[in-house]
Amino acid sequence: MSGDMRFTLKVWRQKNAAEMGRFEIYEAKGVSPDMSLFEMLDAVNEDLILKGEDPIAFDHDCREGICGTCGSVINGQPHGPETGTTTCQVFMRLFKAGDTITIEPFRAKAFPVVKDLIVDRSAFDRIIAAGGYVSVGTGAAPEANTLPVPKEKSELAMDAAACIGCGACVAACPNAAAMLFVGAKISHLGLLPQGQPERDRRSIALRRAMDREGFGNCTNHAECEAACPKEIKMRNIARFNRDYLKASFLSEE
Amino acid sequence: MNELIRRILFSSIGKKILVGVTGVLLCGFLISHLAGNLFLLVGEEAFNHYAETLAHNPFILPAELALLAVFLAHIAVAAVVSIQNKAARPVAYEVQRSKGGSTVGSRTMVYSGVLLFVFLVVHIKTFKYGDVGPGLYHLVLTSFQNPFYTAFYVLAMAAAGLHLSHGAQSAFQTLGINHPRYTPLIKAAGWVFAAGISLGFASLPLWAYFRTGGLP
Ligand code: HEM
Ligand code: FES
Repeated sequence: MSGDMRFTLKVWRQKNAAEMGRFEIYEAKGVSPDMSLFEMLDAVNEDLILKGEDPIAFDHDCREGICGTCGSVINGQPHGPETGTTTCQVFMRLFKAGDTITIEPFRAKAFPVVKDLIVDRSAFDRIIAAGGYVSVGTGAAPEANTLPVPKEKSELAMDAAACIGCGACVAACPNAAAMLFVGAKISHLGLLPQGQPERDRRSIALRRAMDREGFGNCTNHAECEAACPKEIKMRNIARFNRDYLKASFLSEE
Repeated sequence: MNELIRRILFSSIGKKILVGVTGVLLCGFLISHLAGNLFLLVGEEAFNHYAETLAHNPFILPAELALLAVFLAHIAVAAVVSIQNKAARPVAYEVQRSKGGSTVGSRTMVYSGVLLFVFLVVHIKTFKYGDVGPGLYHLVLTSFQNPFYTAFYVLAMAAAGLHLSHGAQSAFQTLGINHPRYTPLIKAAGWVFAAGISLGFASLPLWAYFRTGGLP
């Protein structure tokens, strides 16, 4: 695939977490409007490799907008200019030929840069490990109809469970807060009957783990909601606040 | 109890709840303060009578101390929250562009807050510790003969409007209230409240500055 668009790329290059990074300028030539941003970066990287230079490192896996591995800030916007989409689904037709495109990693103290555009999002894993789950005893599967789930609740829980853990909420938040990510877990588990026994404990434990990682405090800008590729709502943050408030004052545990 | 203090005072959500609750209390104060100030428009006698009744109320001292505590708590916790938020992103973005959500009000809470704080110090110095010999009405009207003082007052009230344009509705979200039925209403009411408070307070110095007729 090739075309006749050209772009100037301003890309963050950083060898590793310890070293200082800087922006480098690259020219991307022969770009087709049907190429994805990543396909363009692949082409730029092939040139770099042929020249014996270090290719630009970026995270990606499915390239279908479903896995949550990719994530960069493109011209100041996490996952690029479109809403409800991931970085791997950014296509070059969104840009004007000749544009300068600035590509930088998600920035947060809790997401240290590993290399170039790749950041370490294991902070999210540690939050989940602190209580973002439902404990179940092993044994035979229970009979499905013994646990009725109202349709509306299951829909809301599934909306929250659509989170792919990409971290764009943190990247978009002016405070680098992780409330949308954690709020999504609170809702996805807390709205279902299986999540009830640990609901109080979960809100306390997840809040503690989230703070320990060095994320910021939510001030309700709602930039997270706008950047979320799965369009997860601020309502989930309110539910987290509510659960936390209730558990703090009223939990009998 | 220790655990509760830890959960509220030393946690991200807890601190936000404190900012929210104190912010709502301050909103309540603003309503009653504005209502009182409007006696200015009724006339000298009514306003001075209101001011003296308030000053001689035996409960005014505890009420003022409580209000001071609420202000200090709001400012102190909001300052800690803001400093932590700055630290949460040590390397700034080269380019940052909103995808939607944030507003001018939400992005300037610290600046509008600091301006309000400076205003409060000046305001209390002028009207609480100023010379009330010929009556508070007289002090208010003479103070607002100064165009700079009047402009500063109006600017501070614009900051209050900006602060509340985000803060009023934000406090509901912080306290866990977000519902498809009520949130659009809360947001609209927040804007109306912010506009009402800032225009209401700003109208008085403007009235005092531009009114014709001599001083009392
Ligand atoms: C009459 C005075 C004030 C009122 C009515 C007021 C009200 C509010 C409200 C309702 C919030 C939102 C809380 C939330 O989102 O839960 C807020 C936030 C905030 N206030 Fe104030 N405030 C006042 C004065 C101040 C002052 C003097 C400062 C600082 C010097 C300040 C600094 C802040 C900051 C930094 C926030 C942002 C934190 C956040 O978004 O939660 N405020 N205020
Ligand atoms: S690479 Fe899987 S979502 Fe982008």
